[in-house]
Amino acid sequence: MPIRRDRDAARSVDEQKRPALVPADAGARDPVVAASSLTKRYGELVAVDELTFSLRAGTVTGFLGPNGAGKTTTLRLLLGLAEPTAGEALVFGRRYRELDDPARRVGAVLESNDFHPGRSGRNHLRALALAAEIPSSRVEEVLKLVELDSAADRRVKTYSLGMRQRLGLAAALLGDPELLVLDEPANGLDPAGVHWLRSLLRRFAEQGRTVLVASHMLAEVAQTVDQVVILNRGRRVASGRLDELTGHGKTLENTYLELTATEES
Amino acid sequence: MTAQLRAELLKQRTTRTNLGLLSAMLGFVLLAVLLHGFGLPAKNLDSSSEQLTLVVGWGEKLGALFAGLGAMSITSEIRHGTIRPTFLVTPQRSRVLAAKVLASMFFGAGFGLIATALAVGVGSASLRARGIESQLDGGAYALFLAGGAAAAALWAAIGVGLGAVVRNQVPTLIGICAWLLFVEGLLVGDLIGAVGDVGRFAPGASAAAISGQDPDKPLAPAVGLALLALYAAAAALAGSLTTARRDVV
Repeated sequence: MPIRRDRDAARSVDEQKRPALVPADAGARDPVVAASSLTKRYGELVAVDELTFSLRAGTVTGFLGPNGAGKTTTLRLLLGLAEPTAGEALVFGRRYRELDDPARRVGAVLESNDFHPGRSGRNHLRALALAAEIPSSRVEEVLKLVELDSAADRRVKTYSLGMRQRLGLAAALLGDPELLVLDEPANGLDPAGVHWLRSLLRRFAEQGRTVLVASHMLAEVAQTVDQVVILNRGRRVASGRLDELTGHGKTLENTYLELTATEES
Repeated sequence: MTAQLRAELLKQRTTRTNLGLLSAMLGFVLLAVLLHGFGLPAKNLDSSSEQLTLVVGWGEKLGALFAGLGAMSITSEIRHGTIRPTFLVTPQRSRVLAAKVLASMFFGAGFGLIATALAVGVGSASLRARGIESQLDGGAYALFLAGGAAAAALWAAIGVGLGAVVRNQVPTLIGICAWLLFVEGLLVGDLIGAVGDVGRFAPGASAAAISGQDPDKPLAPAVGLALLALYAAAAALAGSLTTARRDVV
């Protein structure tokens, strides 16, 4: 199948036929993530430009694009950290700020180093758990899950980049959320860590939950995701199932480079 | 709101920032009170207003540290990026700000009480050691302690509001110090003829009035408390409004 160039068609991922990916009852519910004509301008600069896409439960979606394509801005808009200039971004059918218990529905890691260097990993998680009214036993669970329990009382400044990535992930998993939003989660992970992350994300999706992962690491993405949304200069230039965008001797990298390089300036 | 407050209290006691601030405060108090208590000639220490200034006269300057304590509760989150997970868990940002104000007031009041108690103890000990009769009664000491704690708590609230407006840690702290150590000094000192006596309504002078010292600027303790509380409320409101509107980057 040829590459779907849909910067003008603005069709969303789940409007396309994906029988293998959509759970039987998914049509009855709101999409987990829905952006419609989402736009963010900073003065003259248009960071996100009329972006429309939506994600169904049970999928892992790669959010791709060059530096400055608007991936991180889109994630911020989705998570209520920034306000759109126009259009809207909804999670579970509502604006993030209107979710009743956001930590139990959405877990997110936007930067790999959002920690106070002088606070221990355990206390970082405890503070978030207190604010979200999550029991402290869950802090211990996620520490074990990300294999940081032995380092939990050390101050974060002594952590390696990979440990910080895992601590961020532990914070995102605290509320046992239905949606995970991750920005470059594999940065700094060693090969075993990347493998661990991949199986975590796959397991997450198999439980009917949803993952949106922004990344530059195409080879890694190709092994992990079901579908991709590719951005360039704030616009969606392609989206669809991985097997639709690759094949015919093309790798995801070929497709990506072609789409992001041939955009007129 | 109680959940956010518990989180903020935990945050403030799980780094060394507050411990460092408390040590700095106690060091300053000790230095100021000892220098005055043993350095001044006895004839400059025998009236009650002079003894007042000895015991709590440094309070105006120390306000900067309490404001810094409040300011850092928000600027440090912005600097280290923890503001992102904080707002992801509690997207109602005014709730986070209110919790920071309360937690900072709690630590401010506690540290203010400790610093004032140290000053009172060392001040009266230095008078006794030099055989100078204390002119301060129990009521004055009670006012020092209560006033010191209240002023420190309100300074901390002002700091949270300022920090939320300015966001950047270093300019916030420099601004607080510049105001208290320089601008207010001009208003209440050199420029007193040019600007009238507006200086006594400034935050630093209001804070000083709470403890009852400085009879040259006769704001009653209750008026000082009310004024400083107004400044604190205005700063917190400004911080909350700007934080609600701005994007987190």
